[in-house]
Amino acid sequence: MTWHLPTSVDDVVRTRAERPEAPIVAGGTFLGILVRQGLVEADEWISLQRVTELTRMHSAGDLSVGAMVTHRRLELDDTVRTIWPGVAAAFKAVASPRVRNRATMGGVLADADYASDPPSMLVASNAVAEIASVRGTRRVPVEDLIIGHYSTSMEEDELITRVVVPRPTGAAVYRKLRTRSQEDRPASSVAAVVHGETVRVVVGAVSDRPYHFADVCSQWRPGDLDSAREIGEEYASRIDYIDDNRGSAAYRRHVVGVEVRRALMAVAR
Amino acid sequence: MTQRADQTRPGDGPARAYDGPGASSAVRGINPRITAQISYSIDSTIPGEWHLRIIRSAIPAGRVTGFQTALLDDDVIFLTADDVSDLNTFGCQIADQVVLTREPKFVGDAIAAVVAPTARDARVAASLVEVDYEAVPSVFGEMDAIAPGAQLVHAKHYTSESDSAYFDMRPQDGTNVCHRFRIRTPALQGRDEPEVVPHLDDPDDALADAFADADVIVDEVFHTPAAAHVPMEPHATNAQWVDGRLEVTTGTQTPFNMRQDLAHIFGLAAEDVRVVVPFMGGAFGAKTFIRTEAITALAARKAGRPVRCVLDRDEVFNEVTRHPSTVRIKLGAKRDGTFVAKRIWAYVNTGAYADCGPGVAQKMGYAGVGPYRFDHVAVDSYCIYTNLPPGGAFRGYGAMQSIWAAERVVDMMADKLGIDAVELRRQNLLHEGDTFCTGEVMHDARFEELLDDAAAAVGWEKDGDRRGKGVVVILKGMQTPSKAEARIELLPDGRYEVQAATADIGQGAGEMLTRLAAEYLKVEVDQVVVCAPDTDRVPYDTRTTSSRSTHMMSRALADAARDLQVHGTIGHGYVSNDGGLDPDTGQGIASSHWHQGSASAELEVDDETGIISLSTLYACSYAGKVINKHGAELQNEGSMILGLGTALFEELQYTEGQMTNPNLSDYNIASALDVASIRHRVMEVPGGEVHGLGETAVPPVPPAIGNAVATFGYDVRDLPMTPERVLAARLGDTFQSPTGEDPQ
Repeated sequence: MTWHLPTSVDDVVRTRAERPEAPIVAGGTFLGILVRQGLVEADEWISLQRVTELTRMHSAGDLSVGAMVTHRRLELDDTVRTIWPGVAAAFKAVASPRVRNRATMGGVLADADYASDPPSMLVASNAVAEIASVRGTRRVPVEDLIIGHYSTSMEEDELITRVVVPRPTGAAVYRKLRTRSQEDRPASSVAAVVHGETVRVVVGAVSDRPYHFADVCSQWRPGDLDSAREIGEEYASRIDYIDDNRGSAAYRRHVVGVEVRRALMAVAR
Repeated sequence: MTQRADQTRPGDGPARAYDGPGASSAVRGINPRITAQISYSIDSTIPGEWHLRIIRSAIPAGRVTGFQTALLDDDVIFLTADDVSDLNTFGCQIADQVVLTREPKFVGDAIAAVVAPTARDARVAASLVEVDYEAVPSVFGEMDAIAPGAQLVHAKHYTSESDSAYFDMRPQDGTNVCHRFRIRTPALQGRDEPEVVPHLDDPDDALADAFADADVIVDEVFHTPAAAHVPMEPHATNAQWVDGRLEVTTGTQTPFNMRQDLAHIFGLAAEDVRVVVPFMGGAFGAKTFIRTEAITALAARKAGRPVRCVLDRDEVFNEVTRHPSTVRIKLGAKRDGTFVAKRIWAYVNTGAYADCGPGVAQKMGYAGVGPYRFDHVAVDSYCIYTNLPPGGAFRGYGAMQSIWAAERVVDMMADKLGIDAVELRRQNLLHEGDTFCTGEVMHDARFEELLDDAAAAVGWEKDGDRRGKGVVVILKGMQTPSKAEARIELLPDGRYEVQAATADIGQGAGEMLTRLAAEYLKVEVDQVVVCAPDTDRVPYDTRTTSSRSTHMMSRALADAARDLQVHGTIGHGYVSNDGGLDPDTGQGIASSHWHQGSASAELEVDDETGIISLSTLYACSYAGKVINKHGAELQNEGSMILGLGTALFEELQYTEGQMTNPNLSDYNIASALDVASIRHRVMEVPGGEVHGLGETAVPPVPPAIGNAVATFGYDVRDLPMTPERVLAARLGDTFQSPTGEDPQ
């Protein structure tokens, strides 16, 4: 087994272009499980551990989060907690401190695991991912990045380098519904972020990817319980739900209506 | 030699290594578990050993018709059922297993094995073997398997009195019932009854007259799923043949049962088998009787060299489980609350092999009767074969399953009668000198104190507001009959070596033996060393299960200390508890001493999501005299944490017999974040005798929570109480259960 240890983004994308079969490892919390379970095997690996430029975070203007910034940093950073409390809450909701100390911003998006906490909040926050390859850099809204179960719109040779979260103009709420242990992944993950007079509600962890319905959100009357209930019911009815150990499709349909309503009432306070 | 661990916490004083001979000293003041100073079973290795991988059936029932092995390297050793033709069948209570089978009976049954120089080589080799099968129909649910005309898992029933945990079996020919146990109090004995009641509504109950004096009857059915033990350390075994003797180093709670069963399998004298038991990283019942030991010994014999076997996590999940069960309880009472009669039908899903399922079925039967007085009691427990992985010993040992049902039914009766649930219990509790349904006279009965303590913990006031509160009181038996021997030897350096077969699973057995020996010998604890269980060196003990070790071994050790004072250098101690129950009437001695406990819960239920939020979860376990307060508290807490997972999270799921969640992402146990509401007490009394308490607080936790949830109108019958089951229990919503089939 060979580990490549590039030290810059340029090195990473060049190494990857030359070795498209070599998995890129960020925090390793997801790939580690897949390797242990025999689902991923490779002779060559690319580690991001020495790419210090990916560990940077800036909060002047928008929040710029390097791909190797850990969940734990986002959870604890004073500025993030003050200005982007929804983002801090969504990353804090993940698993346990020992996982959050390793898991990264780039990793959670590239995995595109349906049962992760942060994607719904990042989509609700209008976050944009910056993606590099030997061909250059492009920007993709997170909403368009995750397209299905463990699949993204990225090309094989691309690397998420950072995620930019606009400075919010309104309240943000993250609601994680756990049906088992407090360390469990969400049975439903509802993010609501107010932008001026409008709201972006995103529902994750109940289907193949996070879902956002702009036309439904546009009907919102802030603070109106009936409006919140109607939007909740509309979200509940539009999504195609999965069954898993955390809940049946029928249960998820039921709780999405409740959780969206509660999130909308919370951001209107 | 394995180093023993200290249970002491930082701040409690310096930690000691009480150490087999040759052990290095532990870092002072720091728990050696945290500093990785303990050598576990999985750390034991033998130079030159090869590695075993088991090839497992992919079908739940059928025949293996061939193996394709062309891709195996020449040096790989391949074992099949052909290699076991000279071996005897085995099973701790019923000899229904072979070391490798041609006729797999569950997905995961061992059908072949490979041995290779490295663990990686063995893993690759196992993946290169292709298996051809011929499937036959299978059956998974206990009620399906007991139904008339059900597919038989075993074509015939086996019995053998040579097995290590044998007692009187009552197999039912032509059915999947490998053992039927009954309790009939005197007036109900000798009736003309069917041997098997295969359905949950029995209009022709021959014992219906037992309820003649009852004004109110509650008759309800409950279900518990299969669950996993989840020891942190997987099963790990090293085996080696030396001059015709078999030496096995393995993580087992049952060293002497292991020796007996291995000797029987290989046709050896018991003295020609040596079992050494290093420290274990948890077991909870999963490391009882033959698990990986026989196949590893067989592989070592064929390879002519030492062989090592360590299970993967998914294999640990499939190796042995907690018995799924369906339990029907019928309780009759007079208008004033006096209990009249109780009937229990327990349907125990033991999977493909009996293992200790007959014993579990028996215990499930009488534990469900509870610490109450009745005019009449009748219990029918059925241990039923299915094509699921075998059920076995599991912390709580059957008591949890029937107490879940029985203590929920007491609250249902209280509701029906309009009597406070705690008062109804108090009114019917067994007291000193009362007779249990088995004919035993209760002694050292503490049920009322336990009930009051649990009620007080949640602020229960008579006829007050009981919304969100639940209180439970239980009894649970201890392995009876059993024997314990201990030896204390004065070493040349002036220290004393305790030789006892009590295995340290993580419960602090070494600490317990050290403290007791020091007390009995009137010496400092650092003058006592403890020898790890080694059947060549330590005397016989039945096994480290059933919360019996502290109770039994403490007395054997006291006997040994007295003997030492007489004989100078070596002292032998021996105790036995005699008893057992008649399998047809359930009369006799179920338990030479009773584990007595209570629990209570206070909680809220989110009426839109069904999520339960616990503010208090409390348990009180009767200990009599405590040897090691911190260790006892850890045992009580650990039991409650297991009970909490059982109540809310834990359920093995299957699709066509294939386990679908054998990992710790898809199967949740309670985490540190889930236990904030836990409080508890280990109840001591002046002059009390030493009681076991390793599992007393497991069974009362689920019904305490269930009773509290029921006060909001959510009548949950199936564990775990997932949010959607809670909602469905009130709203009647047809939320389908998560992936997996309903075992009913």
